[in-house]
Amino acid sequence: MDTQALWLSFELATATLAVLLPLGLWAGRWLARARFTGKALLEAAVVLPLVLPPTVLGYYLLVALGGQSAIGAWVANVLGVQLTFSFAGLLVASVVFNIPFMVQPIQRAFESIPRDLAEAAQVSGLSAWQIFWRVELPLAWPGVLSACVLTFVHTLGEFGVVLMMGGNIPGETRTLAIAIYDKVQGFDLAGAHQMAGVLLVLSLVAVAASFFASARLVVKR
Amino acid sequence: MPVDGGGLSLTVNQTAPMPLRGSLTCQDGQLLALVGPSGAGKTSVLRVLAGLLQPASGRVVVGGQVWLDCAAGINLSPQQRRVGLVFQHYALMPHLTALDNVALALLHLPPPQRHHEARQWLQRVQLTGDLLLRRPAQLSGGQQQRVAVARALARAPRLLLLDEPFSAVDQLSRKGLYSLLADLRKDLSIPIVLVTHDLSEARMLADTLVVMDAGEVLQQGTPERLYRSPRNARVADLVGIQNRFHGQWLGPADQAGMGWLEWLPPPGAGAPGQRGVRLCVPDKGRLSVGQSVSWVIQGDGIHLSQPDASAQSPAAWPARMETVRHLGDLSLATVSLDDVPPVTLQLTLAGPQRQRWEEGQRVMLRLDPAWVHVMPTRSA
Repeated sequence: MDTQALWLSFELATATLAVLLPLGLWAGRWLARARFTGKALLEAAVVLPLVLPPTVLGYYLLVALGGQSAIGAWVANVLGVQLTFSFAGLLVASVVFNIPFMVQPIQRAFESIPRDLAEAAQVSGLSAWQIFWRVELPLAWPGVLSACVLTFVHTLGEFGVVLMMGGNIPGETRTLAIAIYDKVQGFDLAGAHQMAGVLLVLSLVAVAASFFASARLVVKR
Repeated sequence: MPVDGGGLSLTVNQTAPMPLRGSLTCQDGQLLALVGPSGAGKTSVLRVLAGLLQPASGRVVVGGQVWLDCAAGINLSPQQRRVGLVFQHYALMPHLTALDNVALALLHLPPPQRHHEARQWLQRVQLTGDLLLRRPAQLSGGQQQRVAVARALARAPRLLLLDEPFSAVDQLSRKGLYSLLADLRKDLSIPIVLVTHDLSEARMLADTLVVMDAGEVLQQGTPERLYRSPRNARVADLVGIQNRFHGQWLGPADQAGMGWLEWLPPPGAGAPGQRGVRLCVPDKGRLSVGQSVSWVIQGDGIHLSQPDASAQSPAAWPARMETVRHLGDLSLATVSLDDVPPVTLQLTLAGPQRQRWEEGQRVMLRLDPAWVHVMPTRSA
């Protein structure tokens, strides 16, 4: 068992969640409420990472964030961080790749809240922040929890984008999925089996736990 | 910005995205009912009052304070307005108990005081015991409504708005809530605006009726005045006046303040060239000679008598009792007039005298001119 790869996968999943959750809450709530021309196009862009082959997304990210690109050069010069073949680059790729997994369930959760609840809260004197915190978030919570679990589990098993953007550097960019691939390439099927089993059990437990919690959290209306 | 006078006054004028036009007033302690068909703009008016909808042009003054003045750039937020709003489907927070739902409107108070006051408001709407700790899904429709009323009142509002609050509860709960509303009105000296499509409910509860149609305020007045003197035929239709007839204005009569009205069958209903009967009725001088008019008469102005008893009266016409339906203490009857076929009048008969009328019987019909109201024809 490559514990280093396992911990790196956990680190990446946790960091992705930390970056994406606030962003997903903001974007999901905004998309649930906003009405504007071109909304369908924006929603399609949000879903795009779900339908694109991971290698395609990884390739474009490599091109857009590599040392030769304007963004990559700027980040390297100003922040001193290289975005390709590094953990930082892996994180950026993981965040982009997980946008639909985080935003879509949250958007659906906020959409399912009747609009008159926020209006009732307004006339009851609640500020925008109080409405979010005391009314909307408790009602959207099952959806938010699902989004978090999906993002976390999906990051643990990510392969294509990680390989394209980060390569296979032990301790830096070699995640559990890459390590499994390595083991299979080296005909170490027992090692691959062990790690694949860990990933399978982890994913199943996480998704089942989120379903169980969601069922308990859903408020009868 | 305080201005003189209490109560509520609203003026609104916009054409897009939906038409909304008119004005209304309501004194402190009075209940104003907004009536009209679906899509008339009743709920939109309520939303303008609550600050949930900003019209293109308008002004709202409540208790001497300007809440909205588009021309002056004033528009207080719903939070600043101190308004109590009972939503049609109550809009209770499904994740909170009845007590917490009411406490939500009291966030400006420290937490212990919040719950103490919430409990008092719920007691006032007759909700006590373990009901306070139940979530809305565990309460009946009537109980949910009481929670919604308690929440609306908890902020000590300066205006109470009720959006079809009785539509989703059964008849028994409805009666209980009518009496609750009547009790609350005794203690609340603020304007109350009720949106309803139930005319009998509006007549029973309201001091003032406002009739709306297609986004426009057509008329405001006491129920009695609206039923007796609707501004036009559309208002008469909307408030459900049954005895509305067609006619032609013939001009002033010899007697001051009176004029001649020819009672005709509705256009297309009578025989070609058919003439009607002439009625001498009150004239406000607003109608031109030859003008096509609608006119209404309240049941109080319709009198029936035996054919021989009224034979001498010039203002009595032979008629036939078409239908008589005895319903408990009342009887509903329709009478057709010989001279204006196929027009029928509908009237309610009460008291022991009603038993003497039978279907097919000949009668003499007399209309009291004081109860006749003539208006220009206007329909939807």
